[in-house]
Amino acid sequence: MRKTRLAAIFAVLLLALASVAVAGCGGGDDTTSSGGGGGETSSESGGGEPLSVGSDIPYPPFEQGKPGNYTGFDIELMEAIAEKMGRKAEFQDTSFETIFRDVAQGKFEAVISAATITEEREQAVDFSNPYYLSEQAVLVKEGSDIKTLKDLDGKTVAAQQGTTGLELAKEELGGSEIRPYPEGPDAVNALKAGTVEGVIIDAPVAQNAVEKSGGVEIAEKVPTEETYGIAVAQGETELLEEINKALKEVEQEGTYKTIYEKWFHLEPPKEIESETHEAE
Amino acid sequence: MSEFFHQYFDFTVMGDHFSEVLEGFFKNLLLFAVVVLLALLWGLILALIRQLPGKKFAPLRFLTIAYIDVLRAIPILIILLLISGGIPYLEFIPKSIRIPHWFGQPDPFWYSVLGLTMVYGAYMAEVYRAGIEAVPGGQFEAARSLGMSYGKAMRHVVVPQAVTKIPAPMLNEMISLLKDTTLASVVALGEAVLVSREILAESFNSSAVILAGAMFLVITLPAARLVDVLIKRNQAKVTRGAHIEVG
Repeated sequence: MRKTRLAAIFAVLLLALASVAVAGCGGGDDTTSSGGGGGETSSESGGGEPLSVGSDIPYPPFEQGKPGNYTGFDIELMEAIAEKMGRKAEFQDTSFETIFRDVAQGKFEAVISAATITEEREQAVDFSNPYYLSEQAVLVKEGSDIKTLKDLDGKTVAAQQGTTGLELAKEELGGSEIRPYPEGPDAVNALKAGTVEGVIIDAPVAQNAVEKSGGVEIAEKVPTEETYGIAVAQGETELLEEINKALKEVEQEGTYKTIYEKWFHLEPPKEIESETHEAE
Repeated sequence: MSEFFHQYFDFTVMGDHFSEVLEGFFKNLLLFAVVVLLALLWGLILALIRQLPGKKFAPLRFLTIAYIDVLRAIPILIILLLISGGIPYLEFIPKSIRIPHWFGQPDPFWYSVLGLTMVYGAYMAEVYRAGIEAVPGGQFEAARSLGMSYGKAMRHVVVPQAVTKIPAPMLNEMISLLKDTTLASVVALGEAVLVSREILAESFNSSAVILAGAMFLVITLPAARLVDVLIKRNQAKVTRGAHIEVG
């Protein structure tokens, strides 16, 4: 009898621990149901429902930090946009390869995850106006002979699963062994460890790796005419308009510039604003 | 509901990518084959060291038990990440060993072999131990009283009987091992799960993942049935009055 009681207490303790952990990580779990109807009531009121946002964390400097305390360019920009919408952004860490399916299925209302706007993706989700112009970088070990993307042909190359960098590698480096790692930092680690000779990854991520980790350098930046957008489920026109309007306000007020300089140590490209306005 | 079936059971997507996923699955099988041989051997060595008698071998026994316990207690994922991320930095090891490209397989393959062998060696050592301990003590004593040395008694009397007692639990370990070869995707080895997740990233359709799962079923389901048959046969022996096997 005593034994079973002990076991029961232990089981309850374990369950409690598990639920605390789940609550801590999930954070926005209870907001997922608001995906459909939440939009209407929120518009300009100060205390609207939280805006649930999916993001693949970590992907510094766009998204980083620990659960409940996420930060980064995307995160701060999204927080500013949500504030303009009278709502509070709540972030959910999720895997990039399933992120568009998840937003389409209403797991969260929006996605901000350094996501390039592509035709393929636009078949699954709707994108906001571009909020970022991106380039791919060829990241190599310091002092490497590799100077251009083409030099990597025939070598072992790493990229992140499901990213534009991986597509670029597949297109341009026919003779290479290409390794798709689950996360960007894994790919950079493989480069530092010497198991791959180059990494093709978003330029700001590469820049961040150069600054924070050392031992690696950017051999070449490859312009890809990529722009990043915030994704919402198809048909969420009202939500999309609200996001676009808020994004524009954030840009005009200079908040965008502040956040950009904070995270990239660079001035934002002039085109970003014009492109945003053009697209409208 | 139809959305669900389209997302997970789109046979066109499965058909389009069948050969890619199959190629990935062959990587799983190859990894499995190499690891199973090494782990069976490594596990036996560990189990035998663990059984060594006397004070003299106490430190060695202690180390082995510590190894088995620790390796069984750490998630394999973490071990794979540590090996693939750590070993390349050990510069005192020649580069061809540190970053191995043997027999046409890339280094992630060999890191996975090492990691899985380390862990499954520990699992299998426990199975061997159960087998060895199930051999009646009289067998060992009789062998010793006939003048056999400790080593000979183990080699010719105890271990041959022990291994006949463990096919079912060993087969269970092998089923787990085959499934755990998918963990190699974390070190970017192009096995079935990694390949099918790449297809998911490109097509936004999860059917290739289901296809990969089906390929595993083809092997693991009959194997699971075989485990059952072995256990039944074992029980039949017991009812006939033979000594009990480890199930």
